[in-house]
Amino acid sequence: MEGLNYMVEEFHKKYPHITVEPVYQGAYNDLHQKLQAAVAARDVPAVTNVEVSSLPNFADSGVFADLTPWIQRDQTNLADFSQGMLDAYSYNGKQFGFPLIVSTSVFVYNKTLLDELGVQPPQTWDEIEAFNKAVAIIENGETKRYAFSVPGWDAWYFDPWLINGGGQILTDDMSASAIETPESLRYAENFYKWISDGYMHMGYGTGASSNMRQNFLDGNIAMVQHTSAMIKTYRENASFEIGVSFVPGDVSRISNIGGAGIVMMEGAPDAEKEAAWKFIEHMTSAEHNIKWAEAVGYLPTRKSAIESEEGKQYFERWPQYEAVFAHFDDVTPRLKHIAYPEFRAHYIEVMGEMALNGQDPVPLLKEAANKINEVLKDYE
Amino acid sequence: MANVNKAKAASPGTAASVRRWGSYATLEKWKDFLFALPALAFLGVFLYYPLVNTIYISFTDWNMVRPDKELVGFKNYNWLFTNEDFYQSLQVTFLYTIMDVVLTLGFGLLLALLFNVSSKVYAFMRGVIFMPYYISMVIASMVFLWIYNGSYGFLNAVVGYFGIAPHDWLINPATVLPALVGVSLWKGVGFAMILFISGIRSIPVEYYEAAAIDGASRFHSFRYITLPLLSPMTLFLLITTFIASMQVFQSIHVMTNGGPLGASNAIVYWIYNMAFEQFRIGRASALIMIFFVIILVLTLLQWIVSRKKVHYEG
Repeated sequence: MEGLNYMVEEFHKKYPHITVEPVYQGAYNDLHQKLQAAVAARDVPAVTNVEVSSLPNFADSGVFADLTPWIQRDQTNLADFSQGMLDAYSYNGKQFGFPLIVSTSVFVYNKTLLDELGVQPPQTWDEIEAFNKAVAIIENGETKRYAFSVPGWDAWYFDPWLINGGGQILTDDMSASAIETPESLRYAENFYKWISDGYMHMGYGTGASSNMRQNFLDGNIAMVQHTSAMIKTYRENASFEIGVSFVPGDVSRISNIGGAGIVMMEGAPDAEKEAAWKFIEHMTSAEHNIKWAEAVGYLPTRKSAIESEEGKQYFERWPQYEAVFAHFDDVTPRLKHIAYPEFRAHYIEVMGEMALNGQDPVPLLKEAANKINEVLKDYE
Repeated sequence: MANVNKAKAASPGTAASVRRWGSYATLEKWKDFLFALPALAFLGVFLYYPLVNTIYISFTDWNMVRPDKELVGFKNYNWLFTNEDFYQSLQVTFLYTIMDVVLTLGFGLLLALLFNVSSKVYAFMRGVIFMPYYISMVIASMVFLWIYNGSYGFLNAVVGYFGIAPHDWLINPATVLPALVGVSLWKGVGFAMILFISGIRSIPVEYYEAAAIDGASRFHSFRYITLPLLSPMTLFLLITTFIASMQVFQSIHVMTNGGPLGASNAIVYWIYNMAFEQFRIGRASALIMIFFVIILVLTLLQWIVSRKKVHYEG
C-alpha cells in the first residue's frame, strides 16, 4: 500500500498533531465482519472504508456519522465530485461518506483483433448481433472464439444490463421485486439467446474471474466486461493492444459504481471525529485525486482533477480510461436497499443455472422474484 | 492456618468443637471452589456466556450493528425449518461428512497396515504421508484451487494423460463435494494412519502367536484380533473426524464460497454467510443452536451404539 502510505505521510505533514494509523483489514467481507464486531464491542476506529453496497445496512443501523454538518461548516464543494459516485454514499438523503476507491464495470477489448477485423465495440444493444457475427468463430457448433463475456458471478456486472434494458430491480417504492417485468427480462432473454448461439461467454463459480481473464489474454474471448480496477492488469499482461469501452446502452446507458468509500464512525469520540473529517477531506481532495487514483488503480472522482494539467497527463499515460470518463456522470449507484446483499443471491443463482446448466433464465427469474418478495416482506 | 490447628487440637464431642468443625469444613469447601475459580471464570466468559447469549440472540432479529435487539420468538427457527435451503445445506453437510469419515478411516487403516513396518525407509514414508497434516487448511485449499482448475489445473493434466477430457472440478455441482473431500483426505489421512499404527502396536503379540498356532490365516487374525482390539481407536477417530467434517468451513471459504448453486453450502459456511454477509445474526444463531443439537445427538448416538461394539483391552 505505497499509495496509502504516501497519503498518510502528506496528511501528517499538514496536520502534525493528528496521528493516523492505517490498519489493513483484508477483503471487504473481512472488513465488514470486523466492523460489525467493533460496533458490537463499542470500540470503533474513527474512519474506515466500506464497500459501496453495504453502506445502507451500516447507515441504517446508525453506525456511520452523517457528514452533513461538517460539509455545511466547511462548505465542501460537492459539485466537483462525479454526481453518481457521490450519490452512492448517501442514504435517506444524508451524506455518509465520499467515494475513495472507485471502479465501474467496462468492456475491455482486444483492440489489435478488432482493428484487424475492422469492427468497433458495440455502443448500443442493436449493434451487438452484428458484432457477434463479425467477431465470434464457431466451427461445427463449437465456439472457438467468443465475441464477448459477461460475468455471471456478481450482480454488479449484469444489473446495469437489466437497467439499460429499461428494467428495475425493485419497484419505485422498493416494496416488491421488479426483476420479472417484461422490461427487466429483456437482458436475460438476450443473454440466453447469445449464449445458446455460442456468441456470448458467461463465467460463474470458483475461479471464473481468472478463467475469463486467461481466456481473453489467450485470444479465446474478444471482449470481456470487467472492473475498471483490472484495466492495469490487462494492459500489463496482454500481448496485444487493449481498448476500453463503456457498457453498451439501450433504453439507458449506465454502469454501476463499485469499490469502496470513506466513512466516519458515529461511535468515535468528538475529537477523533474532527480529526477523521480532516482525514476524509485530505483523502478525497482534488489536490491528491489523480496521484491517489493512479497509485491504487481506481478512478479519479473529481471534475477539477480530471480537467487539470495533471489530469491531462494521466489520460495520456492511460488512454484506456478516457472511455470511462466520457461517461463520468453515467456511473450510478447500485440499488440502495438494506436487504440487497441478501436477496440478490436469488437472481445471481439464475445466472449460474443459465451459465452452468444451460437453463432458460426467464421462468427462473420469475421464481426468484417470489423469493425476493419473501425477503422484502421480512424487512417491512 | 491457626484455625485449622485449633480445630484439629479440639477434642471431639464438645459444642465448641462442633462449631469449629463447621467453619473448618466451610473453609475447605470454599478453598476447593477458589482453586477452581480461574478455570471456571475462563469457561464462564469464553464458553457458557457466549452459549447462553447465542441462545438469546437466536430469538431476536439482531443484525449485530444495531444497538437494539427485538425479540421475535421462534421466527428464525420457523424460517429455517420451512426453507428448502436448510435441508439442502444439511444434505450437503452429511454427504461431505459420510464421504470424509469413511475415506479417512478406510484409507487410514489401509495405510496403517501397509506401513506398520519398523525400518527407516518405512518411517520416512510414514513421515511423508503425515506431513500434510501440518499444513494449514487455507494453504492446502489454495494449492488445491490450482490443482482443480478447469483451464490450467494439475488434475486435468494428469487425467488428460489417460485420455479423459478436462473438467471443471469445482464448478460442477456433481464433483465439487468429492473435490473438497479430496483436500480433507489428503490432509487428514496421515493422522488416522499414525493413530491406527499406534493402536495396532499396542495389541499384545501373544494373541497373534496363539492364533497362528491354532492355524488362523492372516485375514482371520486381522478380522478377529486386530479389528476388535483396534475398536477404541476407531471410535476415537470416528467421533473426532465426524465432528471436524460436520464443521467443514475453511476449504469451502477459500475454494467454493458454498457454490456452485449451493452444492457446497455446508452448514457452518452458511452460518458465516448469513451472519457476516447478510447481516442476519439472529437467524445464524438459530442455525448454530440447531446444528449444536444435531452434532450432540449424533455424537451421543455413536457413543451409545459403539459401547457394545468397542472392546477395551485389560
